[in-house]
Amino acid sequence: MLALALIAALGLLAFWLLSTPRPLTAADIPQHTPDVANGVRLYHAAGCISCHQPSPDLKDVATDVPAGGAPLHTPIGTLYPLNLTPDPETGIGSWSDLEFLNAVMRGISPEGENLIPALPYTSYAHMKPEDVLDIRAYLASLPPVKSPEREPDITALPLVRRGVGLWKWVGLDTTPWTPDPSQSDSWNRGSYLVNGPGHCQECHTPRNIFMARDESKAFQGGPHPEGKGRVPSLLGLIERGRYTDAADLASALQNGEMMGYDKLASGGMGQVQRNISMLPESDIQAIADYIASLK
Amino acid sequence: MVSKTVLGLFTAGVIALGFTSSAMADAKASIEARQACMKANGGMMKVMVPIIKGQKPYDKAAIDAAIAASQKACGGWADWWGADTKPDTAAGKAAKTEAKAEIWSDAAGFEAAGTAYVTAEAAVLASTDEASFKAAFPALGKSCQGCHEKFRQAD
Repeated sequence: MLALALIAALGLLAFWLLSTPRPLTAADIPQHTPDVANGVRLYHAAGCISCHQPSPDLKDVATDVPAGGAPLHTPIGTLYPLNLTPDPETGIGSWSDLEFLNAVMRGISPEGENLIPALPYTSYAHMKPEDVLDIRAYLASLPPVKSPEREPDITALPLVRRGVGLWKWVGLDTTPWTPDPSQSDSWNRGSYLVNGPGHCQECHTPRNIFMARDESKAFQGGPHPEGKGRVPSLLGLIERGRYTDAADLASALQNGEMMGYDKLASGGMGQVQRNISMLPESDIQAIADYIASLK
Repeated sequence: MVSKTVLGLFTAGVIALGFTSSAMADAKASIEARQACMKANGGMMKVMVPIIKGQKPYDKAAIDAAIAASQKACGGWADWWGADTKPDTAAGKAAKTEAKAEIWSDAAGFEAAGTAYVTAEAAVLASTDEASFKAAFPALGKSCQGCHEKFRQAD
């Protein structure tokens, strides 16, 4: 009986230790002068607005202001993504750079809690911290909006947050992105945008039994994360005749279904495509060059 | 007496079964008609987009023919959205519908999306030269995108 209690206690202790957040520290912040123009670009590449839309209650707030609060339905419950405007009380105005980096790149809130990985920090972890700080500089330049934070509607939330801490051992790879010197600059730019900020794999790579991305099946598509329908494969898009070449794919990413490209609006891809269309042409072509090379 | 009841139930069962399967066939036919309509619309885009992109010369006759083919394929539209054609129904699964349940839960939104399409299509049909066609086209493309974004299932 005592032995069982001891094992249980040790198990709980192990769970507690293993699920404790492992944040970045001040030493991880690069010396960097923020570049707002680059921040806008990365903000669109990262698709922030798709989830951080203003709540329908904020009638006077334009839909392209990331004031947060609009419900985001996930299989584990409804989330209300945070207000990203610099309002000090309800937004992120009072956050430090380190707190922002930890939220975006490690999934840890300023209070030290694990964030639900609907925020794709599992991809953002591969970003250059300088780019993340530039996004912060852009967000800081927006007019502040009052949009109070709302806790997710998730059963046993504190336990789930702890569980996410444990899950990060298998689900969160913090290796920084590195270029492939054998490929072109455009391809490498595309590889960075797709695998870092663009977080394409979060939907286009299926998950294993631990709900971590199965990298052996990268970009193969799979069940839609919202529960209905499927996410298409991004492999062999040219070979399979979906697009004639990388330039055609770039045009599709730029124009979407407006120009008759099929299946670029449903399942959330419409928002993704709109965000991509905000990027400079060279970035869109880079994304297309990289994706067209996936076999 | 018993045998009569049994016979009666049996007959009713056969009729019900027959009715169900014919209703199911109707529902499936509705979904397939929707799919054929969408295919015709896709064909219409294949005629218009190369002109917009400057890959093919402006061709009023080809544009009008593509719109006529779409209108012919989509003629019965209003009758194709019975509750028995929803994605979770037998017919919905059999015909692999990509229609989302939101079509029925947000009927007003779906109606508005359809109206946007019909209006834009009429404007393209009314265009008389390359400039007016190019001015009218974006609203048509946008209406495809807007409706699919809300009401079409992922892949």
